[in-house]
Amino acid sequence: MDILHNLAFGFEHALTWQNLLFCAIGCTVGTLVGLLPGLGPLATISILLPLTYSIPVNGALIMLAGIYYGAQYGDSVSAITMKIPHASSIVACIDGYQMTLNGKCGLALFTAGVSSFIGGTVAIVVLAFFAPLLGEVSFLFGPADYCALMLVGFVCVSFVTTGSLVNGLAMCLIGVLLGQIGTDVNSGAQRYTMDFPFLAEGIGLVSVALGCFGIAEITKNLDNKDERTPFNGKIKLMPTWPEFKRIIPSALRGSVIGSFLGILPGGGPVIAQFAAYAVDKKVSKYKHEIGSGAIEGVAGQAAADEAAARTSFIPLMSIGIPENAVMALMMAAFIIKGIQPGPNMIAGHPDLFWGLVASMWIGNCFLITLNVPLVRYWLSVFKIPYAVLFPSILFFCCIGTFSVNNNLDDIFITAAFGLVGYLFLRLDLDPAPLMLGFILGPMLEENFRRALLISRGGFDIFVTRPISATLLGLIGIFVLWQLTTFIWNVRRSPGAHRIPDDSPAPLEG
Amino acid sequence: MNDRNLARGLFVVAISLMFGLGALRYEIGHLERPGPGLFPLMVSSLLLVIGVFSVVRSHFVERVPITFNPKNIAIILASLCGFALISEHVNMIAGIVFMVFCASFAGTGNYSVVRNLKVAAGLVAVALAFQKLLGFNLPLY
Repeated sequence: MDILHNLAFGFEHALTWQNLLFCAIGCTVGTLVGLLPGLGPLATISILLPLTYSIPVNGALIMLAGIYYGAQYGDSVSAITMKIPHASSIVACIDGYQMTLNGKCGLALFTAGVSSFIGGTVAIVVLAFFAPLLGEVSFLFGPADYCALMLVGFVCVSFVTTGSLVNGLAMCLIGVLLGQIGTDVNSGAQRYTMDFPFLAEGIGLVSVALGCFGIAEITKNLDNKDERTPFNGKIKLMPTWPEFKRIIPSALRGSVIGSFLGILPGGGPVIAQFAAYAVDKKVSKYKHEIGSGAIEGVAGQAAADEAAARTSFIPLMSIGIPENAVMALMMAAFIIKGIQPGPNMIAGHPDLFWGLVASMWIGNCFLITLNVPLVRYWLSVFKIPYAVLFPSILFFCCIGTFSVNNNLDDIFITAAFGLVGYLFLRLDLDPAPLMLGFILGPMLEENFRRALLISRGGFDIFVTRPISATLLGLIGIFVLWQLTTFIWNVRRSPGAHRIPDDSPAPLEG
Repeated sequence: MNDRNLARGLFVVAISLMFGLGALRYEIGHLERPGPGLFPLMVSSLLLVIGVFSVVRSHFVERVPITFNPKNIAIILASLCGFALISEHVNMIAGIVFMVFCASFAGTGNYSVVRNLKVAAGLVAVALAFQKLLGFNLPLY
């Protein structure tokens, strides 16, 4: 009953005209930007973050959440109609695009929209029940446990997002080191500032995000000379009753899988989509059709995608640890607005927490009522030539960077990170784990130093506490397994001079 | 030697050395009372291990050539820096116009002054809307 009471309290806050407007704007703008080539949810949130600066806290967070799932939906639309995948919509390309080729684009888009709604609704129920529970569990965590939890997050995100533990961990650690730039809060010493006053407070998150994602993505698209043919096919949205009946079981399966995988460290929409797709391929009544444009191939993954996107808020809001790069960015947005996510958030700002939960469902309704019928108009975004689009994206990057501190020097830092992002791109290093490392780095250091202070300099605190010992043990087993696989593969092919780079052997997934 | 895997390993080693050697300039302290240099030193040491591993690993995996196209990134960076400089010394409207005209050199299609003027005008209108409606403190004029 408490949950219902709390949800009613949340709806009371979310259903003000102002918040409804912010939610609608967030969903619509997020969808529009998410549709653009080369801009996934991470880049979309980075670019649109400054829009929320002048908005009250409640409205800003509701709008950001709207931007996030709007971008997710926009992403799946571009994947289904144009086969332009981002990290969050790779699976939608398989059956979704195949359905488009089969002349069932409208059905695929309707399926994705309805399944996302189902996935989102199931996930909100999970969120409302589990976030407060996990919030209570998190009071058991000490500094050593937080350190171990963050390391688990690093390992999981590194492996899941890049597919290579070594490359992903390297990026996480580079992010942690970048987070060290600025004034050390314990001693007051300035680290790595090279005596530049504007570095005393550290590098701005928005500069890093826009440089590594926005600028680098633009350059990649320009280098690839991406010329997309606008989608001009016919769209018939409404399915027949037998078609509609096929959506429901698959969407429900995807919702459960997505809700569960969204909570795990390193989890989130990408892994949830693949898992839901794999399960559908095993258990669906129409499993033989999956891969060649089946409704189930779109429904399950879309529901899982949306459910995981929602439940990945649970660790952020209850423990204060983001479990993927998008959530790390959301955490930064919370902090910019003066809210520290964590166990005290639910007790300290119940209006904010429950308002956000309620707004997720309202956002769901906006997505299905606004975006699904209007999808044919959204697709006109693809008709804008890239020569017009990319200067506009650059403009938003500049305004976004400037607006954080009203300082034009920050644009130079963004440009520098644009170059760094370009180097990462050419070296095939994914910047997503870097963002997580950058945001969690200062927190990791603080907890690490606290743990050492408590143990009077002994590292045994990390193995004597049950939570930390378990988490570190899991990391150890995982690293050992990866190392063994690498050595095994090298030994197995002694005749071959070199292992192919894309083989799963050398610490790659 | 044009090998992306090797270059990646060397890049990681270079970053770890840069931060690791920098950390030695700060007080390391003791484990029971860590100084500001201890944590970055530990992290960069771990990064160095990963970098060295990547270099070693590059000898066992297939060589992948690395490609660079400096033209586009140079134009984009120039347009960003130009935008910041012109906004600081003239005003942001001039900065927007410069950015659009400069960045368009990196475009894939043909260069069109008319199209650039239209894009610049649209972006100036958006900037004005940000300033007047959302309260952004933009030095537009």
